[in-house]
Amino acid sequence: MTGETTRRGFLRTGVGAALATGACRPTLPVERSADLESAPGVDSTSRVRVDTNLNGQPRAFDVAPDDSSLDVVRATGLTGAKHGCGHGACGACTMMLDEVPVVTCLLPATALHGRRVRTVEGLAAGGALHPIQRAFMAEDALQCGYCTPGFVVEAAAFYDRWRAEHGETEPSRDDVAAALAGHLCRCGAYAAIYRAVQRACTGQLDPGEPAARIDARDKVTGQAVYTVDVRLPGMLFAKALHAPWAHARVRRLDWSKALALPGVRGVVDLLGPAKLVRHAGQQILAIAAVDEATALRAVALVEIDVDVLPALLTVETALAPGAAPIYPRGDRADLPNATEGPLLPERWDGNRRGPLELLSKRGDKANRAIEEARSIGVVADGTFHTQVQCHTALEPHAAVAAWDTDKRLTVYLSTQAVHSTAQDLAQRYGLRDDAVRVIAQHVGGGFGAKATLQNEAIIAVELARVCGAPVRYALDRRMELMLGGNRPGSTIEVALATDRAGELVGMRATATSTAGTAVGTVTTILFRIIYPKAPRALSDLDVVTHAPPGKPFRGPGGPPAFFALEQTVDALAHARGEDPLVVRRRWDPNPARRPLYGWAESIPTWRDRGPAGGDSGRYRRGVGVACGAWFAFVEPRSRVQLESTPDGLVASSATQDIGNGVRTTIAQLIAARFGLAITEVFVRIGESNFVHGPMAGGSRTTSSIVGPCEDACDQLQAELVDVASRRWRLRDAEPSRDGVAHAGGVIPWRDIFRIAPKLVVVGHRARDKGGYFLPPIEGAAAERYVSGSLQITQVEVDARLGKVRVLESWLGLGVGRIVSPVLARSQAEGGVIQGIGYALYEERRLDPRAGYLLTAGLEDYRIPGIGDIGPIHVHFDERGYEKVPGHNVGLGELVTLTPAAAIANAIFNATKWRPDALPIRPDRVLEGLRR
Amino acid sequence: MIRFPTDLAQAAGSDGEIRAGATDLAERRRTMAGEGPLVDLRDVAEARNIEVAADGRTRIGALVTIAALAHDEHVSGGYPGLAQAAGGLATPQIRAVGTVGGNLLQHTRCWYYRAPEAECFKKGGAMCSARKGDHLWHACVELGPCASVHASTLGMALLAYDARIDIVGATMRTVADLYGDGSDPTAHNALPPGAVLRGIEIDPPRRGERSVYLRATSRARAEWPLVEVLVRIGVEAGVIAWAKVAVGAVAGVPLRLPQVEAALVGAPAQAEALVAIAALAREGTAPLPMTAYTVDLLEGVVADALERALVADPVGGS
Repeated sequence: MTGETTRRGFLRTGVGAALATGACRPTLPVERSADLESAPGVDSTSRVRVDTNLNGQPRAFDVAPDDSSLDVVRATGLTGAKHGCGHGACGACTMMLDEVPVVTCLLPATALHGRRVRTVEGLAAGGALHPIQRAFMAEDALQCGYCTPGFVVEAAAFYDRWRAEHGETEPSRDDVAAALAGHLCRCGAYAAIYRAVQRACTGQLDPGEPAARIDARDKVTGQAVYTVDVRLPGMLFAKALHAPWAHARVRRLDWSKALALPGVRGVVDLLGPAKLVRHAGQQILAIAAVDEATALRAVALVEIDVDVLPALLTVETALAPGAAPIYPRGDRADLPNATEGPLLPERWDGNRRGPLELLSKRGDKANRAIEEARSIGVVADGTFHTQVQCHTALEPHAAVAAWDTDKRLTVYLSTQAVHSTAQDLAQRYGLRDDAVRVIAQHVGGGFGAKATLQNEAIIAVELARVCGAPVRYALDRRMELMLGGNRPGSTIEVALATDRAGELVGMRATATSTAGTAVGTVTTILFRIIYPKAPRALSDLDVVTHAPPGKPFRGPGGPPAFFALEQTVDALAHARGEDPLVVRRRWDPNPARRPLYGWAESIPTWRDRGPAGGDSGRYRRGVGVACGAWFAFVEPRSRVQLESTPDGLVASSATQDIGNGVRTTIAQLIAARFGLAITEVFVRIGESNFVHGPMAGGSRTTSSIVGPCEDACDQLQAELVDVASRRWRLRDAEPSRDGVAHAGGVIPWRDIFRIAPKLVVVGHRARDKGGYFLPPIEGAAAERYVSGSLQITQVEVDARLGKVRVLESWLGLGVGRIVSPVLARSQAEGGVIQGIGYALYEERRLDPRAGYLLTAGLEDYRIPGIGDIGPIHVHFDERGYEKVPGHNVGLGELVTLTPAAAIANAIFNATKWRPDALPIRPDRVLEGLRR
Repeated sequence: MIRFPTDLAQAAGSDGEIRAGATDLAERRRTMAGEGPLVDLRDVAEARNIEVAADGRTRIGALVTIAALAHDEHVSGGYPGLAQAAGGLATPQIRAVGTVGGNLLQHTRCWYYRAPEAECFKKGGAMCSARKGDHLWHACVELGPCASVHASTLGMALLAYDARIDIVGATMRTVADLYGDGSDPTAHNALPPGAVLRGIEIDPPRRGERSVYLRATSRARAEWPLVEVLVRIGVEAGVIAWAKVAVGAVAGVPLRLPQVEAALVGAPAQAEALVAIAALAREGTAPLPMTAYTVDLLEGVVADALERALVADPVGGS
């Protein structure tokens, strides 16, 4: 490996993160069953014959009494319907039963007898897409696409019903929300789903309207293949034994009875030499068998003796005098990392790590200024608590591993980083880089939790090796919520001071965060990147507990930091009697955000807002503002390979589309240069063996890929001009959008593709002009820019029932040139929606004594539904970033930083009560309004 | 082992769990280690209709789906609160297959009951983990050692209609009998072992009745209620002539609020008066440390429902 980066990348401490106890060992203890390979699984139940009609074809199935319709239909190869939550809350498994949408994860397969079943694959009658499918494509009503088949089936049923009853009348948002209430989308495509359903119903859709997203058709027809859809010949199924204890030492672990069960093929021990359980849910071992039911039965036969040890589950107990260190001295290497960057060496004191005061500057002066301002200026301060938020992507962490020989490994992995996970696997197993192939054609959401090599891959790889057959392993929803990743909870104390003139003269912030068994949470440095001029004392502390580890979550540290900071700014403006936009504009030097103030002031809802607490009735409306800022990262080694073939252009890169749309971005950039439609560029991504592509993390994808695409186009066009010039003896030939322009006219690119030999070029990304703020550390370079955002939100607070409703949101973004306006809008809307969930509903809750998960499904872990969002308006100011190749920086994280703060400020404006804890639940609202 | 009886008499008394729509049972069997015998009602033809007797009494079969109940014209015309309750619970896909009987007999959603790690009276344990643990969404009325709340919206609604129940294999008279007094922490309902619910019977619609169903939630839709209420009132000459108020998600069984009902009778049909009476809903509550807010919500939803009932369309027109 050569180039300017090291092998390890940002977000690449995952093996340690997920597998702290086994991280340094090349392989784990495994055992193979002595049983013959042909042994069938356990079949203790009676079988039932079911005659049904599937997508118009008669089908007979032989099912077990507890088989779900979903599993039985998916086993036929119709994998459009997805397993999402397993309890009927998310709707990803929706099919039509006698033309009525039902959740098939809960529908027994025996119930299909004598009925007609229609799946998303059966929606396009005779190959013509249903109008709802076309509308979802045209409006970009999908991102990762995992929930899309369920939404499409339900929306199609609604469309058919609506058109029959109401003709071309437009359904209201409420009509649409009522119909789609049984579906959840974690990417937050709801805003576009409203547009799609409403437009389809009015019949305004142009039949030939192009899709915004190159893979939209695959996603609305159920053809897109995710890791959980992969079925290999002879594939085994793995299940894990999860610890029910938060803290225990394992004395004896005996899997002999499990291994003796017919159909069981092998076991891998994940416990590690310390034999310690450090959080509930921890995977102790995993077993592969011929089917899931057998694997589950085998897990139940494992014998385990433990000493249950006292669990430290809260910051208070972990810091109590005499609390035993969760990581004793000498056991603090390779800890799970909850943030994006590398872990810096820090001081430990028992279970406390830090403080990290990296970006403090003139802290003493800040503290003095705060004290002085109490008499001669204005101080605003407060303490803010934020909860643990789970990523809970609808596709769980999943892997299918297959060894060709001992030397070649293929892993289908639901990952945000095909390239680096392949490298990490190669390193771990002592293989050549090109002997490991990681494949992720489609990824059902990640949000930061799938950026590293984690246990799902290790389990599948180890078991595939010991069993000599492909192995699939996926988390169920309970374990996805427990282990899949979470945003740490924080308590942030803030004080801001202004002088008489309203200048910010001091900032102080002390954050105490807990990411369970993970470390590295950093929040207060974000105060520096948004208001960089003031003296500041910024301090972050980690406290480790016996809770499942946090992972980097979209804008790590950001939503808690801005919830605390931007509310304190609001309080300061209120105390000074000033407009909160005026205050911010005074302090804000960021050219990316400054143009957004004028835009915000033009929004009538903002202009016409009332004074704080102006409403006194039951329903109180308020408007709030919050600003956000984020780092600009780029993966400078990113490449795009571009080939011209007689049939057209093929682009490839070892990157992956997790719903961010990079497959489309690449197609669009190249298509624009060659005057083609995006569907005319064949894009190959999602395989680690292509040229190096960016991981989907740190908002880096687009800014990393634009340069290589442009460079590849330049190179290929130069070659094609050369070919054409020689072939036709052209004079003054040069590339143009339509083809090779020359003295005698223009030869279309397609004509040149046909006659040219196969040409292959690899595009690189040029350095930013003026270089980077930080050179590439672990693969990602920090650019000399801070992106900027500004959000306005209007809410309504029901003072009687404590409910907060988001009525409307406006998000302004200064991230430079927008390559794909429709996709960028989708991602921005999704960020606002995830932020609404963070602000109002989402909260991981553990049993306070034993530390196991209570919010273990999508009923109790409450992500926003389509009825919870209100209209969202996205505004891009495309100026700036002239020194960046492509003139843009990322937006994936920036878009989710401000909602909680904007909503909280809107609640203050509505009620004069300032929420200091997330989520802003009805009980907290009722209590707050009583104060 | 699975059996498919063709009528409910065959199903009654048999060994095994009864399966109708399976929207609760399927997940429980998967996550709570249930592989015992099943009695699946798929092939049962009876109890699938809503029938109106000559005298106007309405019989709702236990296998009627919740969606069918919500959309039935006779029900929405004569018992609008019941239709609202049916249409307001769960999600469209669940309502499409979930049955009235299954809704009445579903198990609690308590997160300790559903957590495989937790000890729980309803799983054969000797303690309630919620009581000393996290009970944010639990009871504010003490009926017994179990702190969970009953999940059946239809049970709560039918309690307000004084519905009678029809059972194969046992004699029970009312929905109130079906749930008992909530003192037994091990029980989800008081249906005797082996008995099968055949249906529900409700008195004829009351002309002029105004009814409203409401639930308090954090999100807009598709969420288990923090508190729910069904209010039925009759208004004569500007005065409340009669009132039935049932509430759910506050105790281990659905409850009527007799003190509120008594105070309503004779009260002027004016919003302010009714909102004041709603404060009586707090009587008898005994919240756990984390559930005091549900008492506020209880008063709030009762007040809200009474206000809305005043302006609701009366049954049979005004």
